[in-house]
Order: sequence, then C-alpha cells, then structure tokens
Amino acid sequence: MDYCIEVADLAYQFRDGTPVLRNIALRVPQGAIYGFLGPNGAGKTTTLRLITGLLRMQTGAVRMLGQSFREHRLEVLRQTGCLIESPAIYEHLSAVENLLVLQRIYQCPKSDMMEVLQTVGLAAVASKKAGQFSLGMKQRLALAMAMLHRPKLLILDEPTNGLDPNGIIEMRELLKKINREQGTSILISSHLLPEVERLATHIGVISQGRMVFEGSLEQLSGLRQQVRGYLLDTTNNAAALELLVARNVQVVADAGRIQVPALPVAAIAELNSHLVQRGIGVFGIQPVKNDLETIFMDLIQS
Amino acid sequence: MIAYLHSVQSEWIKRRHSAAAWLTIIGGTLVPVIVLCIRFYYFDLLAKQNASADIWVQLYNRSWQYMGFFLLPIGVILVTSLITQLETRSNAWKLLHVTPQRFTTIFLAKLTVILVMLLFFFLLFNIGIYLTGVLPALLVKGVPFPSAPFPWLRYLYGNGQFLLACLPIVALQFLLGLLYRNFMVPIGIGLGLYIVSVIVFQWKYSYIIPYIYCVLVFNDGFHQVVRPASLYALAAGYFGMFCVVAYALYICKKEKG
Repeated sequence: MDYCIEVADLAYQFRDGTPVLRNIALRVPQGAIYGFLGPNGAGKTTTLRLITGLLRMQTGAVRMLGQSFREHRLEVLRQTGCLIESPAIYEHLSAVENLLVLQRIYQCPKSDMMEVLQTVGLAAVASKKAGQFSLGMKQRLALAMAMLHRPKLLILDEPTNGLDPNGIIEMRELLKKINREQGTSILISSHLLPEVERLATHIGVISQGRMVFEGSLEQLSGLRQQVRGYLLDTTNNAAALELLVARNVQVVADAGRIQVPALPVAAIAELNSHLVQRGIGVFGIQPVKNDLETIFMDLIQS
Repeated sequence: MIAYLHSVQSEWIKRRHSAAAWLTIIGGTLVPVIVLCIRFYYFDLLAKQNASADIWVQLYNRSWQYMGFFLLPIGVILVTSLITQLETRSNAWKLLHVTPQRFTTIFLAKLTVILVMLLFFFLLFNIGIYLTGVLPALLVKGVPFPSAPFPWLRYLYGNGQFLLACLPIVALQFLLGLLYRNFMVPIGIGLGLYIVSVIVFQWKYSYIIPYIYCVLVFNDGFHQVVRPASLYALAAGYFGMFCVVAYALYICKKEKG
C-alpha cells in the first residue's frame, strides 16, 4: 500500500524535558481520510505542527508524498494544503484577496480562486472582508486557501472547532466531496469521535503523547463487535450474586442486573445451568458489545 | 529570484487596506498639506514667495523641519511594526510557513515591502512638496508658477540622507516585530528609543544611538558638527547589523507558527 504520510519514531519534549510525544508512528494511506483522534492535550496539534515543519523536529522521521520532508520541504509543501488550529486569514482583506495572496506564491490560475470559493460556498461573498465573516465562513475560507493549489494531501487540524451542527455537517460533506472527486488524501485531527467515525476511512488514536491505535475503520468496527460481558436477569439477584462469587466469577450488580465478564459461550451456558439448578430463574442473558465511545475511552485510558 | 518576486507580490497584497498603507499615505501627504494651508493662510505672500529664486529650498526646509525631526521616525516605527506584525495579528505565520517558500525568501520579501513602502512615502512627500509650490499658481489668479527650476538633485540628495538615516529604525523595528508576538512591545521600545534620542541629541556621543540619525541629519542642516564617524556609515552599519541579527533570530526560531 502507498502512504502519503509516514511518520516514524516521532518524539518531542519541552525545554524542561517534559515529554509531549513518544515514538509516534503514523501512516496515512494514499486516498484515505485519516481521522487523527485524541482528547484535548493528547498531542494531536504538536504532531501536525511537527509534520508540517512549524515546529523543529527533535527526533524521528517524516516522509510525505514519498519524499523526506526534511530534505524536500518545498516540493512536499507545494503539493500539500494545511489548516492548523484556528483559521489563519487576513481579516482586513476580502475573501478573494486572501486567495490572491496565496495565488501569487503558488502561481496557480486565477480562475481557480473563484472555483475554490464556489466549492466552499463563498462565491457570493468573494469581495466581502474576511473580518466580517462568521466563524463557519472563516473556516470555509481557510479550507479554500488550503485547497487553492489543488494539493494531493490536506492536513486539517480540528477544522470543525467552533462550528454549529449545521456547519459541522457542511464541512464533513465538503471534505468527503474533495476526497471523492479530487482524490485528495486528508489527514484530519479531532477530539470528536462521532465526527471522525462519520468521515474517516482510517483512524489513528493518540493519548498522552502515544499512538494507542492505528487501523482502518473496519478494524475499529471489528473491536466493536467483540463482546465485553453479559448482563443476567434473574429471579433472585442477591442469591445469584452469592453463587457466582462463590465460583470466583467477577460480577458486578448493575441497575437490577448482574454483569459478568466476557467468558466463553460454554462457560456462560454452564453458569446458567448452575443458577437454574439452585432454583434461581434466569430469564435473560444479554451480551454487551463495545460501542465506539467505550473503545475510544478504553484506548485512551489504557 | 522568481520565487522572491512572487513572494514580494504576495506580501504587497497583504498591505492593501491595512493601517500601515493608510499611515504611509497620510504620513506622506500630511506635512505638505499643512505647509500648503500655512501658505494660503499668509495669502498675501503667495505671489512673492513663488517668484522667489529659492522657493523650492524654502519649501524643502519647511517641510523637512516637521518631517525629519518628528514625523519620519515615528512613522517608520509605526509602519514597520504594523507590517511586521501583520502575520502575528492575523495568526498567519503558520499559514505563511506552510507555503512552499524558503524562510530566507519570506524574510527578504517582508523587508523589501517595508523598504518599498518607505520609498513610496518619500515619493508622496516630495510630490506633496512640489504641489505646495505649484497649486497656489494653479488655483489663485495672479500667483505665478515658481520661476526657479525644481532642484531635483538637491532633493534627491536630501531625501537619500534621510532615507539612510531612518534605515536603522526600519531594521530594529523589523527585528523586534519578528521577535515579539505582542504588538505593543516593538512600538513601546521604538518610541522609547526615539524619545531618548530627542532628549540626548545634543550629547557629544549621541551619534551612537541608532534612532537619532534623522534628528541629527536635520540638525546638521543648520549646524555642521564634526564627529569621529560619518552618520551615514553608522546608519548603514546599524542597518546591516540589525538585519543580520533579525535574520539569524528568524531562521533559528524553533516555533514557526
């Protein structure tokens, strides 16, 4: 598989020696929408700033679009669009002037400016000063600026931050469209799991400066199918608890039900027979499956 | 070289509608407008002044009297700081540093735009001086056009002196603007140094202060002072030194946005 971003052994620490990132390894497949998930302060932005050269790398290696970033910075950046943290726009300039600033650098056709404004839905306000834009419009303008030169790779750091639900949906659909129609690979960081779940094809989870999961959405969904325990409904919970504890089963009473760990199916059937033989009626055995949030929490707390 | 030109074009667009652009236009035209108003206030003298052989010298001296001592240094402090801080205020260093440009190109393009704006400021100012001589003749019947030819060379030489004298201010303000995120720091330091310069300009070693050369150039027009080193050599030296330090600090910055 070809990767548009390959990060190996990336580590970073503050001047006082406090580690921020430890041995980050990250691989974004070409054409993918890679969701870079993690709670606030996990190291997402630091990772992205290191990848894009905004922070000087201390250790590790970054390859982007098949080239070493350190050795081919200009060639890589020519094919990459970035939106790091809050939108970086010149508020005293109009939307089209903001794009003109970048058009001069990338020397792309001027017609691309209106096209990209159309794509993000800002064509009608092209000559309005960016300072008068709402946060959602500023985010869309920043995205237009990142996309102006038709990059092969987009790196977006929490682009939905501060957007209302409608804005989030619009941004998501826009990114899907860019990925689908232009084949642009997208690395998008977020702390919002449902957001990434709806958008990404691949996911990386970072917690406390370490990568704790990396794989496709299917792999993550595979974890979801795993049973994490069973809930028992019995006619006498107190007696059932006593019996199960006596058999060294780790049980938890949970809202009038008994939670037992994810034992093999045969063991669960045997426990059921044991309870019934002791005169305790079992009228429900329900497997508890992982939801994505639980998986995420387990990953970041592990 | 082409990348540098594209970068300058890009930086030039950023100063559109900015406070720095307005300040340059207002700063360049303010003194000529005041001089013109004064000339119209003394209406009776208009014809006599325009007929005088040294009309252009009078206008030059009167205009630079306000400009050289006060407005030019303050204007340079403000404009340089405003242009340099444009990225900081727009939170756009990170945008600029992920564009495919060498850091050296970005540094030089920003400095070029400041220097071009300074030249534009001088150009406006001189056009303004020329108009203060010509406009009364155009607007008032009986006032002749200045009979003396416009002394281009003298004006060029004088402007060159002031331009060179304010280069250390440009370079140090540029350095401070790159160094500090807080806009008030470079402005505060710049104004502080300028005030110190005005206070101590009669001190015999005042020429060592980098912000004093505009004041000294203006003062030397009236009383020539012998110094161990040429003011212009010192100004050029300071400019070079501050530029090198600014470049080194900019390149070595660990966080680029």
